Amino acid sequence: MVDVSQHELVPEHTLIDEDEVESMLTQYDVKRADLPKIKRKDPALPDDAAVGDVVKIVRDSRTTDKAVSYRLVIE
Amino acid sequence: MQTPKEIGAIQFGLMDPETYRDMSATKIITADTYDDDGYPIDMGLMDPRLGVIDPGLECRTCGSHSGSCNGHFGHIELAAPVIHVGFTKLIRRLLRSTCRECGRLSLTAEEQDEFRDGLQRNEELGEDWTDVLKSAVRQARKADRCPHCGAPQHDIKHEKPTTYYEVQDVLAGDYSERIAEAMQPDDEGDGGVSPAELAEDSGLDVSRVNDILSGEFRPVGEDRKKIEKSLDVDLTEEDMNKLMPSDIRDWFEDIPDEDIETLGVDPSRSRPEWMILTVLPVPPVTARPSITLDNGQRSEDDLTHKLVDIIRINQRFMENREAGAPQLIIEDLWELLQYHVTTFVDNEISGTPPARHRSGRPLKTLSQRLKGKEGRFRGSLSGKRVNFSARTVISPDPTLSLNEVGVPERVAREMTQTMNVSERNLEQAKQYVRNGPEGHPGANYVKRPDGRRLKVTEKNCEELAEKVDAGWEVNRHLIDGDIVIFNRQPSLHRMSIMAHEVVVMPYKTFRLNTVVCPPYNADFDGDEMNMHALQTEESRAEARVLMRVQEQLLSPRFGENIIGAIQDHISGTYLLTNGNPQFSETQALDLLRATSIDTLPEPVGEDETGEPYWTGRQLFSELLPDDLNLEFTSSAGDEVLIEDGRLVSGTIDEDAVGAFGGEVVDTLAKVHSKTRARVFVNEVASLAMRAIMHFGFSIGIDDESIPDEATAQVDEAIGNAYDRVNELIEIYDAGELESLPGRTVDETLEMKIMQQLGKARDSAGEIAEDHFSDDNPAVVMARSGARGSMLNLTQMAGCVGQQAVRGERINRGYEGRTLSHYQKDDLSADAHGFVENSYRSGLNPREFFFHAMGGREGLVDTAVRTSKSGYLQRRLINALSELEAQYDGTVRDTSGTVVQFEFGEDGTSPVKVSSSEENPIDVENVADRILDAEFESEEEKELFLGRQERPTNISEYAGPGLDKAQSLEVESDD
Ligand SMILES: [Mg+2]
Ligand SMILES: [Zn+2]
Ligand SMILES: [Zn+2]
Repeated sequence: MVDVSQHELVPEHTLIDEDEVESMLTQYDVKRADLPKIKRKDPALPDDAAVGDVVKIVRDSRTTDKAVSYRLVIE
Repeated sequence: MQTPKEIGAIQFGLMDPETYRDMSATKIITADTYDDDGYPIDMGLMDPRLGVIDPGLECRTCGSHSGSCNGHFGHIELAAPVIHVGFTKLIRRLLRSTCRECGRLSLTAEEQDEFRDGLQRNEELGEDWTDVLKSAVRQARKADRCPHCGAPQHDIKHEKPTTYYEVQDVLAGDYSERIAEAMQPDDEGDGGVSPAELAEDSGLDVSRVNDILSGEFRPVGEDRKKIEKSLDVDLTEEDMNKLMPSDIRDWFEDIPDEDIETLGVDPSRSRPEWMILTVLPVPPVTARPSITLDNGQRSEDDLTHKLVDIIRINQRFMENREAGAPQLIIEDLWELLQYHVTTFVDNEISGTPPARHRSGRPLKTLSQRLKGKEGRFRGSLSGKRVNFSARTVISPDPTLSLNEVGVPERVAREMTQTMNVSERNLEQAKQYVRNGPEGHPGANYVKRPDGRRLKVTEKNCEELAEKVDAGWEVNRHLIDGDIVIFNRQPSLHRMSIMAHEVVVMPYKTFRLNTVVCPPYNADFDGDEMNMHALQTEESRAEARVLMRVQEQLLSPRFGENIIGAIQDHISGTYLLTNGNPQFSETQALDLLRATSIDTLPEPVGEDETGEPYWTGRQLFSELLPDDLNLEFTSSAGDEVLIEDGRLVSGTIDEDAVGAFGGEVVDTLAKVHSKTRARVFVNEVASLAMRAIMHFGFSIGIDDESIPDEATAQVDEAIGNAYDRVNELIEIYDAGELESLPGRTVDETLEMKIMQQLGKARDSAGEIAEDHFSDDNPAVVMARSGARGSMLNLTQMAGCVGQQAVRGERINRGYEGRTLSHYQKDDLSADAHGFVENSYRSGLNPREFFFHAMGGREGLVDTAVRTSKSGYLQRRLINALSELEAQYDGTVRDTSGTVVQFEFGEDGTSPVKVSSSEENPIDVENVADRILDAEFESEEEKELFLGRQERPTNISEYAGPGLDKAQSLEVESDD
């Protein structure tokens, strides 16, 4: 089986811990539910991602080196 | 401006029939509107308690006069309940998911909890909760027995729009025949079944089996299933039991509050039985005013017509029921009542014939007032007709600045600006009023401090002018320097609406500088544009700072300038700088006279006669700021070098000063200032016009002619191509053509022929090109990028070439041939749309026909593309319209949901990015350079950096006096 998450076009998805989630939520002044969403079964997610977790996605960008975004894992 | 009421929240739900009755001003019982004397009939559709429309009359409910009375609802008591068409889907969903006996939702407690949680979760996450509802209904529909009372559940069939059937399997009428047939022996060696065997097999009594076979006993329930199983027959038929609206209402009344919550209905404000109407609200007369025609006859609104129908049927229904009419008649009347109420709500239901006016026009009922482009939402709320707007034809005026717009005096007299009179402008205000509404600049209205508005007329203007004093308001005409908004449809991008400064002019068209044609996509073949005069000080300030044309020089689409020299401007600068021609003093002064340059630089040298001369590049350099340094290669391959504001070498063409990314304009706008760039574009346009007039520029048919020997060469090239094509066809006919990989032989032949003919056109073009001199006007335009291309030129002079439909040679028409003139299966060049003539030599009839075929495809393509892309644009804009870049750099929608964590992932505005890779904008460097140039001493600079505010130049009319030439000295001011 091909592991999609290892494909070069799939950006890095990492789970972040509660502290980092909290500081990110305060930084952007958002509620967890206001984050963009990602399905639990999305093959790009790490295996241990659970519903309610937040993933940090680091994409390569043409204009900035790295573009960071966050998503809330949902069912 | 005052806000009469502020909306705190809007709640949607169903309305209780009791509420309809409570809010009703009167019950409506008669379908008549007016009596013989023209007075509205009491309890009729025009009852005066429903509000007043005739001026002078008093409302019998609230006592106010027409205008201040909004009208009041009445109601009709329906003789029998009817279904509200707006809720047919929800009614079906409820019927399918609830128990016919006890009304409970056919879900177990656990399932219900699960769906309720899902509903809540999706709402919290801001996701679509209808998915959960749909799966809940699907789950509930599966149950064939109620989990609460155990009653069997039947399927519901919905016949659109408003009929519901309960479908159940019942014992077929011919059950005994079916059983007997199944017991008969058949051809396949089946020996048949005796009644005794059947009894044993199914576990029934033999006597009972005999009773069934004789038709004396109906095997229902378990008995039927047993027989069906042992004989393998189907003894049922479908029975459709129509559910009357009253049945549905009774059913829905039994649904408990907790259960409808799972289905997404809020029980605290909506009950499902309210979807079945028992009372019909009658809209106030103000919502359906009657019109008095010229001949004195009254014409009623469509809604009134519809209500008349409803009341008539309602009355007939009641009379028939009281008279004890047969059920069949009652049901027909019920259906008729349902039809009228349905079309009252929506007259465009599929499957239902629309209710029509006597003239045959379909009635415009409630839904039709709201829906679609002309409906209340899109037509009256999102888009409205506005005051202080004007529309007329546009025409060019190269003497205007690109920031300006020429406004006809007639328009200026109509559009006004409010002037708050104070001691400082009192004299001006008086003068405006004195000039009256006819003179320009005059005034149309004045407002006294007590709030009373007076119209200024020719008669009272002198008198009023004396009264005007501080504290008054004067609505004066538009004058030079006012800011207005200018727009051309289709407004596809930001630059379709820009702010311009007014220049009042004679005649009847709006005038604009030709350099603003690209952002508006305007030309002067009859285009019209709209103008809006701004009415508040805030809007005028915003328009000046954000929307003025010079602020829109750079397009956010590709990050480069969209405004710049076009067409003849480019030809002009090309002629001026290409080959660096020399000019005498008179000529040089003449070239620069339309610009702000009023002193000539030092001459470059002297000619043979001892007269001083100036060069084209030198004159062009006069327009450049002294600190401009640029080096680029124009697309013509010319190296352009600008050092310290001097054009050292190279030709100025489209890539230097053109709209859509001209290097010089782009750099000025980004590195210097928008104002400097505006000044430059204006001046380049003026200089270029002078230059092109100096050289003279015209084009005629002889400019595309080539000498006879060139024509012969072209003919030879085409002849050779024909020979090669014929060779290919011969090889193909001999079956010796080798196919290219992945192609059939036929495709290979087509490709090779196309290739040969393409080459022929190109070589014809090259031959023609060789015979054009560099000063040929068509060549000048093509090279400089002003208009047209070398291809256009070679098609005019050399050979038009292959015509194509769908990217292939022309293959359609008759069977095996394109026109009846050709042999069947003729593969030659001319039989498939190769045009060997040039536009100048003229096309023969067959070539002309093929050319029209190719041309038609292009027209159809553009027509289809514009409509497709217009709809796509509308959908895209609607989807993205509420997204907004926030101050923290994120992009969010109105509910605060994050869409991008950084605008565009990089937080960068495309118009602030340097267009050249090697030359990113070095902000500190730019700032230092500006500051160094501005201040002589370090202290002065510090003083400036410490306190002074940035100077602004928000109008061409601001600054020292109204002298535009003076303000040109201003350089980096924004
Ligand atoms: Mg046009
Ligand atoms: Zn009233
Ligand atoms: Zn039940």
